[in-house]
Amino acid sequence: MLGFIKKDLLMIKSNIKIFAILLLIYIVMAFQGQMDLSFLLPFMSVMIMMSTFSYDSYNKWDAYAISIPDGRKNSVKAKYLATIILIILTTIIITILSFIISYTKTNIIDFENIVGTIFGSVFATILLQSLIYPAMYKFGPEKARIGLMTIIFCIAIVGGLIVKYVDLSQIIKFLNFIGEYWIIVFSTTMISILYISYKISKRVYLKKEF
Amino acid sequence: MDNILEVKNLCKKYQGFELKNVNIALPKGTIMGFIGENGAGKTTTIKAILDIIKEYTGEIKIFGLDNRKDEKEIKENIGIVLDDIFFPEILTPNDINNIMKNIYKDWDSELYFKYLTNFTFPNNKAIKTLSKGMRKKLEIVVAISHHPKLLILDEPTAGLDPVARNEVIDIFQNFIQNEECSIFLSSHITTDLEHIADYITFINKGNIILSKTREELLEDYGIVKCTKEEFDKIDKKDFIKYKENKYEYEVLIENRKLFNKKYDVSTIDKITLEELMVLMIKGEK
Repeated sequence: MLGFIKKDLLMIKSNIKIFAILLLIYIVMAFQGQMDLSFLLPFMSVMIMMSTFSYDSYNKWDAYAISIPDGRKNSVKAKYLATIILIILTTIIITILSFIISYTKTNIIDFENIVGTIFGSVFATILLQSLIYPAMYKFGPEKARIGLMTIIFCIAIVGGLIVKYVDLSQIIKFLNFIGEYWIIVFSTTMISILYISYKISKRVYLKKEF
Repeated sequence: MDNILEVKNLCKKYQGFELKNVNIALPKGTIMGFIGENGAGKTTTIKAILDIIKEYTGEIKIFGLDNRKDEKEIKENIGIVLDDIFFPEILTPNDINNIMKNIYKDWDSELYFKYLTNFTFPNNKAIKTLSKGMRKKLEIVVAISHHPKLLILDEPTAGLDPVARNEVIDIFQNFIQNEECSIFLSSHITTDLEHIADYITFINKGNIILSKTREELLEDYGIVKCTKEEFDKIDKKDFIKYKENKYEYEVLIENRKLFNKKYDVSTIDKITLEELMVLMIKGEK
């Protein structure tokens, strides 16, 4: 298992310069107030992990993985674990950056607001990746990328329609109801979504011919 | 003699192609060359042996174990080179060592780097920067660095220049020095197989049409080159296939000595695997 996780992390490391440049551009824009850091986490995580899927597909890694011990069993699990490791690392970086930016701009650290924003970003990242991974395994990165665009487009339209036409008081009531338990509720939801996604991906992978 | 690999009645159906009752038996300590034209079913057979493809029928045993039930134990002991299938190309030979030492119980980093040094590999350069020949050599080095007992190789010498092919064949011959080890390799480069294979198995359109020892094929089989008049005198049951060329007939026969006793023809040559392949596929009966 460790070997498979290492493979994904080493692939990310190989492209670290590109990601570092992107991160730098993003940080500069965040300091100038042109960009919100909360977008950075989902953007970077999804982009980095999608690049690993693309390289896997280009070199037909999955057929090779299945030919080595426990490949079919561990390949998908390793991809999800590498994703979690990446999310944790990027979350730490973004949290630190958010504190620095907040302090530089206002001389105070708005702890509650930053944690809330980061938590929302992590939730969005996990939701996005949970949706995209089974599609990656089923249809391959090329088709899944189109799927990802479609999902984002649909979410934006549905979100817009909800804001415009739906009475949001019920949602606000629900959020008030969960109140201080929101971290537990959202954490449980996140873990459940990721677990269901993993189960679907694993099922697809076990049945797939390479 | 114990068989290290046994395939019995392997069948797999795709739209427009079918593997039909493929049977293979590879004895311990030997090399089997698996030949056939493109699309004949070589890679499909190898993928079934490795359980990469699904929904095939038949029985596949490696080291006497079922290839699906005892997958982990089997795969710990086999080394693979697959056509155009490998690690993502942004990784380096050093990365591969880091990964493989956590995958194979018997991964031997010292042996791996010894081979890389012998081949003067740049250990820190991404696979994508390597030439096709270097990449193939890396695949072979990766396949043998965990001391496998069986190598399953799909076109391992494709794209290599003669010098590199020679180096690779030397590796295979060293590997086979251990009598417990065997190699099953598919190749288009039949001259390589004429040098190293103990057995030749020939697949055509999903059917195994021939499986013999190299000696049987290269010593007994022959190619008769004759005129139309001479060809007309040959009994149909005394040849396997024939091909009509512009000035002569080429006739594939199973036993040169017996044929020579029975017929008076001017030329009976030993056959090469390439000629055998062409006549078996393109020849008529």
